[in-house]
Amino acid sequence: MLPFAQVMQKADTNKYYDEKLRQSQAALKRRSSSSSRGRRTLEKSKLFMRGMGLDLPFLLLVLVLVIIGLIMMFSASYPIAYYSSKTENDSYFYLKRQLIFAVCGVAAMLGISFFNYNKLHKLAPIFLGVSYLALLLVLIIPSEGVKRWFEIGPFSFQASELTKFAIILFFAHWGSIYYDKMQYAKYSVLPGVVIFGSTAVLLILEPHYSGIVIIGLLTILMLYLSGMRLFYLAVGGVVLGFAVIVAWATGLLTYAMTRMDGWGQALEYTTPEMWQTTWQTRNSLYAIGSGGLFGLGLGQSRQKYLYLPEPQNDFIFAIVCEELGLIGAIIILLIFALLVWRGITLSLRAKDRFGKLLGIGLSSQIGIQVILNILVITDWLPNTGISLPFFSYGGSSLVMLLAQMGLVLSISRTANIEKQ
Amino acid sequence: MANKPGKKKSDKGALQLLRSRTTYLIIIILVIGFGAIISRLAYLQLIQGSYLQEKAVEQQLRDTTISAKRGTIYDAKGKVLAQSASVWKVVLAPAYFENNTQRKYVAKGLSEILELKYKDVYKKTKQKSYYVIIKSKIETDARNKVLKFMDKVSDKYRKLSNVIDLVDDYKRYYPYGDLASSVIGFTGSDDQGLEGVEYKYDEYLTGTPGRRITAKNGNQTDMPFQYEQNEDPEDGNSITLTVDETIQSIAEKYMKQGIIDNNVINRGVCIIMDVNTGAILAMVTADGYDLNNPYDLPQGDLDAIRQLPEDKRAVAESSALSAMWRNKAIADTYYPGSVFKMCTASMALNEGLVNENSTFSCGGVYTVGGEHIGCHLRSGHGTQNFYQCIYNSCNPAFIQIGFKIGAEKYWNYYKAFGFSKRTDIDLPGESEDIFFSEDGSMSEVDLAVSSFGQGISITPIQMITACSAVVNGGKVMQPYVVQSIADAEGNVIKNVEPTVKRQVISQETSKKMCEFLERNSVQGGAYNGYIAGYHVGGKTGTSEKLKSTNGSKDYIASFCGFAPANDPKVACLVFFDTPKGNSYYGAQVSSPVFINIMSEVLPYLEIQTEYTDDEIQYIDTVAGSYIGLSTEKAEKQAKSDGFTVTIKGEGDKVISQIPSPATKIPTDGNVVLYTDEESESQTVTVPNLVGYNISEVNSVATAYGLNVSITGSILSSGAVAVSQSIDPGSLVSQGTVVTVKFGSTGTVTD
Repeated sequence: MLPFAQVMQKADTNKYYDEKLRQSQAALKRRSSSSSRGRRTLEKSKLFMRGMGLDLPFLLLVLVLVIIGLIMMFSASYPIAYYSSKTENDSYFYLKRQLIFAVCGVAAMLGISFFNYNKLHKLAPIFLGVSYLALLLVLIIPSEGVKRWFEIGPFSFQASELTKFAIILFFAHWGSIYYDKMQYAKYSVLPGVVIFGSTAVLLILEPHYSGIVIIGLLTILMLYLSGMRLFYLAVGGVVLGFAVIVAWATGLLTYAMTRMDGWGQALEYTTPEMWQTTWQTRNSLYAIGSGGLFGLGLGQSRQKYLYLPEPQNDFIFAIVCEELGLIGAIIILLIFALLVWRGITLSLRAKDRFGKLLGIGLSSQIGIQVILNILVITDWLPNTGISLPFFSYGGSSLVMLLAQMGLVLSISRTANIEKQ
Repeated sequence: MANKPGKKKSDKGALQLLRSRTTYLIIIILVIGFGAIISRLAYLQLIQGSYLQEKAVEQQLRDTTISAKRGTIYDAKGKVLAQSASVWKVVLAPAYFENNTQRKYVAKGLSEILELKYKDVYKKTKQKSYYVIIKSKIETDARNKVLKFMDKVSDKYRKLSNVIDLVDDYKRYYPYGDLASSVIGFTGSDDQGLEGVEYKYDEYLTGTPGRRITAKNGNQTDMPFQYEQNEDPEDGNSITLTVDETIQSIAEKYMKQGIIDNNVINRGVCIIMDVNTGAILAMVTADGYDLNNPYDLPQGDLDAIRQLPEDKRAVAESSALSAMWRNKAIADTYYPGSVFKMCTASMALNEGLVNENSTFSCGGVYTVGGEHIGCHLRSGHGTQNFYQCIYNSCNPAFIQIGFKIGAEKYWNYYKAFGFSKRTDIDLPGESEDIFFSEDGSMSEVDLAVSSFGQGISITPIQMITACSAVVNGGKVMQPYVVQSIADAEGNVIKNVEPTVKRQVISQETSKKMCEFLERNSVQGGAYNGYIAGYHVGGKTGTSEKLKSTNGSKDYIASFCGFAPANDPKVACLVFFDTPKGNSYYGAQVSSPVFINIMSEVLPYLEIQTEYTDDEIQYIDTVAGSYIGLSTEKAEKQAKSDGFTVTIKGEGDKVISQIPSPATKIPTDGNVVLYTDEESESQTVTVPNLVGYNISEVNSVATAYGLNVSITGSILSSGAVAVSQSIDPGSLVSQGTVVTVKFGSTGTVTD
């Protein structure tokens, strides 16, 4: 914890001096410019911004998570890479690929931080359209089993990654336009139900239930932030609950049901089928428990030796717990928490509503994913496939995630301006 | 929805709403959400941690047992009686197989090498396991073949390099086969002791098996990164017995012969004990069984079982096996008969109720409580003194002695001699004796019959322990077969010291008993265990068994003796159960066997010979060397050595002699000296000597120019030659020594 606190303190000190400088510069500018409104339009029209402060603590937190994530992903993945002929028995298989994407992702993040996020304001509906298109395309492209990914050469891209971003973007856009009408159902509940509902239908067809859960939560989050009445939220909750019961009864949830089987029973399996079904969760619990307070040491996990299937993916944090113990796990979770907190608070300082909503949405998304992921690996939620940001293997999602962090950084630039 | 707030106001209000809702959001995500997951992790890692870790380790580690080497069993002189040698277990990990071609290849190879059925092995290759035992206890030859085959397999299929494994194991070998089988015992398939010392001392012999703990991955194969923890096995302790292989062999040889000679139905027992320590020098249950194949029944039993209907065979087989394994010396009870008289006599003598001059009369029958108890001599022994009662083994006399002692004292002595309780010898399966009642109360008839050893069922080990007490100065010793226990490095961890349980009779009484019993053996001759050159004491016994076979009564013929009588060192009990030969009397069945055994055991124990003047004349000496001397000088020298001399030939130098130098010759024997080659070829025909008494044999031998070496019992009145070492009619040189064995026909039929 301590090093990060120091870094942030240092960053804050730097920021203090930066601001002093900027204040003086801004004072000069104010004198020359006719009105604040004029400047706003000017900035909105610009594609790139320059010379304005980027939030260093947020950037550092992201980089720290990317680096820890890479190390842990390598530690978790090398046995499975070594044993599998699919990965040419190359221990470094996953590391090499993830490293390339991490570098690309960080570059993209830094690039995007200079990008004027306001350009996305008008593009939001188009993004939403593209995300629908992507969801439709994965359904059309023939593949076996679940249809979630675009296969591009050796890499794959998960359509719902785009959807999550599109939803946050769209509702930030919507909420900033109709901020004064959000208390009306027509402006809050209706678009929420229509957009979430249609997306959910497409995701059910894939099927991708954890995607539905996340997108549902993001939709509610964005509408809540935009000012939707809590009464509707309550009604929505009841309706959603009812819908789930109906889906359950009609057997629509067949795929999810198989994953729901054995939920919470990983250690109390009764049949051989149950033993198989709960294999991954059980071994995740074994790994977490084996870590104890201090862990077995970096690289010392035993459960990654083919006991825990796909330790580099959704269940990577179980290996983290095994190797670094509760202390290591808490430190990493605190870094995540700091990132979320920093992301939300800096976004609040954004000078326009769109920026605020977008930044808070993107930052909160990280927190939600972390919570859901840990709940899954600890058997408090059914095993449905929710990856851990910055840690789980997956190039496209890492790039996508870092690009979104780039947007938050871009927002941080304007946030710092607003302080003037 | 009712109010429509102004735009400006709502702008500011919306911002405030956003700020407050963001605060809630932070609380929901960071406090509640992260709080929940951290608590959950803390619960799993701290509270459930050890349980989960245990479960994880359970699946991650492979725990293999490494057999410990079972300790060796030595005889008193350090000869190996039981030993474990390395063998191997062939283990297959069929989960490695990828297809049936591989399975067939390995199954074919292994079934050929290990001489197993191909079908059975192939079945095992189908299992989804990493540990299937194909064959246990294979020896070096088979192991080498398996090793070669393993190379072949891994050359052919690279992925199958670990499919066959050889695991170290041990097999028990008994170098002497059936020697001391009832004492040593044997082990089962898991190396656990099942009988005898192997069973009784199993915890010492077994050792502690080691463990090999290796890490395995989710595919059950060993980790490529070495992780291994070894806990070395601790080899078992070795055990040194008090049993001496030489003495045991001697005893077994004559016991087996005795069984054949007397057509013994129910096997025989011989125990030889060091009277002063209680150490068992030999314990024979004849016939024994081959310890290397303890489940092989003798042919006779197999034939009998084959006669039975099929459904009864299994039961018959297992009862035959347990009968074969039974250590009769401690597990069977019998009426000791007249042998027990040495105890009765000791009681009376020790209590001062009788002395050497006490007289007892016998009219052939004695009536107690209306029951007529007959003496073996129907005409009666008349009036006898105390010693004569023992020599005559007179039942009416002993009934009178018994009545003098009385029931209460009898019971007290009975207990003190160690009857009434197990001896607690360190062997499994000891039986308890059976007395008339548990509290020692008995009727007059009971007292009468028990005074001559009927009606009380005791074990042979109790009898010899009591006999030792009678002759060793009155000390009841704790009998034992294990002398010491040493750990795998040879450090002695336990050495057994002789334990005196109690003093039962006084030293004087004991001394007197020795005297009486020695006189008994000398006067009774071979029938009472006389051995020339040694002071031997003993008592015969013939007892009726309650059970009878084929209508005729069954008997137990026994003899219990000791030597030297003036300073007792060893006692020997010989016991035949149900002899169906010419005789069933202890004197005729067991005494000769006792004599044969002790004649060899006593010299082996280096017990000093003390010949009486009578005996001296029959003692052999060694011929000197007269070859190369002048005829005259040789004759003179041979005569001065005490021999008579016969000179053959005309030469003036001795070129050869019969008997050869340093060979056995009677002290007054005839040495034939040959002085030329012609004379050497002269031979005589050996006459028949069997059936003649000693003086007759001597005169016949002298007439033929042969030397006679005398063995057996010669001092008893009617001793006659029973066998000769060179068959009648054989052609031998003059002066050749013929060994003649003498035996006698006595009057004691008890």
